[in-house]
Amino acid sequence: MPTTSTARRTPPRTPCSIAPPDLLARVARQGTPEQRDAALAALAASASMRTQRSLLSRMRLELGAETANLFAGLEGASPTRRQTVYDNESQGRSGLPGTRKRGEDDPPVDDASVNSAYDGTAATYDLLQQVFGRDSLDGAGMELISSVHYGVDFDNAFWNGAQMVYGDGSGQLFVKGALVQALDVVGHELFHGVTSFTADLTYSKQSGALNEHFSDVFGSLVKQRHLDQTVDEADWLIGAGTLVPSMGKALRSMSEPGTAYDGDRQPADMAHYVDLPDDNDPRNDNGGVHTNSGIPNRAFYLVATALGGHAWETAGAIWYRTVTERLGSLAQFSDAAAQTMDVASSFGDAERAAVEKAWREVGVLT
Amino acid sequence: MKVSVVRGGGLAGITTRTELSASALGEEDAHTFTEKVRAAGLREARPAGGGPSGPDRTLYEVVLDDSGSVVRSRFTDDDLPESVRRLVEWVDARPERSHTRER
Repeated sequence: MPTTSTARRTPPRTPCSIAPPDLLARVARQGTPEQRDAALAALAASASMRTQRSLLSRMRLELGAETANLFAGLEGASPTRRQTVYDNESQGRSGLPGTRKRGEDDPPVDDASVNSAYDGTAATYDLLQQVFGRDSLDGAGMELISSVHYGVDFDNAFWNGAQMVYGDGSGQLFVKGALVQALDVVGHELFHGVTSFTADLTYSKQSGALNEHFSDVFGSLVKQRHLDQTVDEADWLIGAGTLVPSMGKALRSMSEPGTAYDGDRQPADMAHYVDLPDDNDPRNDNGGVHTNSGIPNRAFYLVATALGGHAWETAGAIWYRTVTERLGSLAQFSDAAAQTMDVASSFGDAERAAVEKAWREVGVLT
Repeated sequence: MKVSVVRGGGLAGITTRTELSASALGEEDAHTFTEKVRAAGLREARPAGGGPSGPDRTLYEVVLDDSGSVVRSRFTDDDLPESVRRLVEWVDARPERSHTRER
């Protein structure tokens, strides 16, 4: 299980850092503006060490927009986005990745799916890097590989552990070409990669529903940030317009779970939790991972709307730190509630209160 | 002979059922269907899949009903054999097949 502070376990060893990182972090949080800047500069002086870099990312989240420019200077050259999009040419798994179509510095090509994959991947990388200080899915700059036109009329898109694959859709379940065009779908799938490198939530029952939940949160945040939407302007839907219209408007609603499509069984609170077995039966969906994610999804929506403004700035920062630093692979809803409340405390009393109120409203806290 | 393909999981968590009976096909297509079913090896015993799948994988249940002899196989996007994928894609493309939501 990830520790909450690797910095505390690993004292600084570089000659230019004379105070322990946790002391510097406390000064940065509580000191005068001058003390804060000096403490951050001391932390940054040894930023080549992974522990300090992690602490700097955390301080950036805690201190917020006021210090964004300072961090841009302290952290040195920006990490570089690296991605390549391939055409699987209907070959499926054995033909991955396929034919190279567009690299990071290449102009758009004559294939809308290739360009959508490119743009969605870029928007996801940029949210992670510019808002949360994370360099790609692994935090170490891994190249992002996408393959479009996967299989024949394939009704799915997923992160396979090494790359993204996007089907074209059959026109029976998904509108043809729609999956890769949905920014929140792209962000959702790529965030499964972040989760695999951090909390690594086991994809079964509640821990699996949390895995789904964090992907819905950050998928939605990719879209909201791209559209520069406040919490009141966001639609809080996942995959709007991807299902054929006769089925419904979206895959999931974070604000009103259970209302996205005809037959949507997502519960909005623990009283309506759907207890399904995890038995490899496709009807049971790994123990209801896409069903019960409605409960934490609504908790996040309640927190974000209570805090107002842009959801990625505070609610997103609390959730980001929770999944990347606090949760273990078998975490349950109650663990997510406890850890998001604890993380929220470092943002302030109002933030902590909003998080606690939300988990109470969805019945995870009683 | 009838093949049913139940698909669930995926990024949507929506379950669908696609069915095709040889009796609905013309002679040539029925022959192709029989050959694809044979190539898919659905009658052979398979080890049951174990452990949680990766996120958002399509979960497949392929049921072969051959004159009352029923064989059920389950796969994910990670272990779906090429021969079964070709059968499923062929079934999907037949206008005679039925396609419904399970739940």
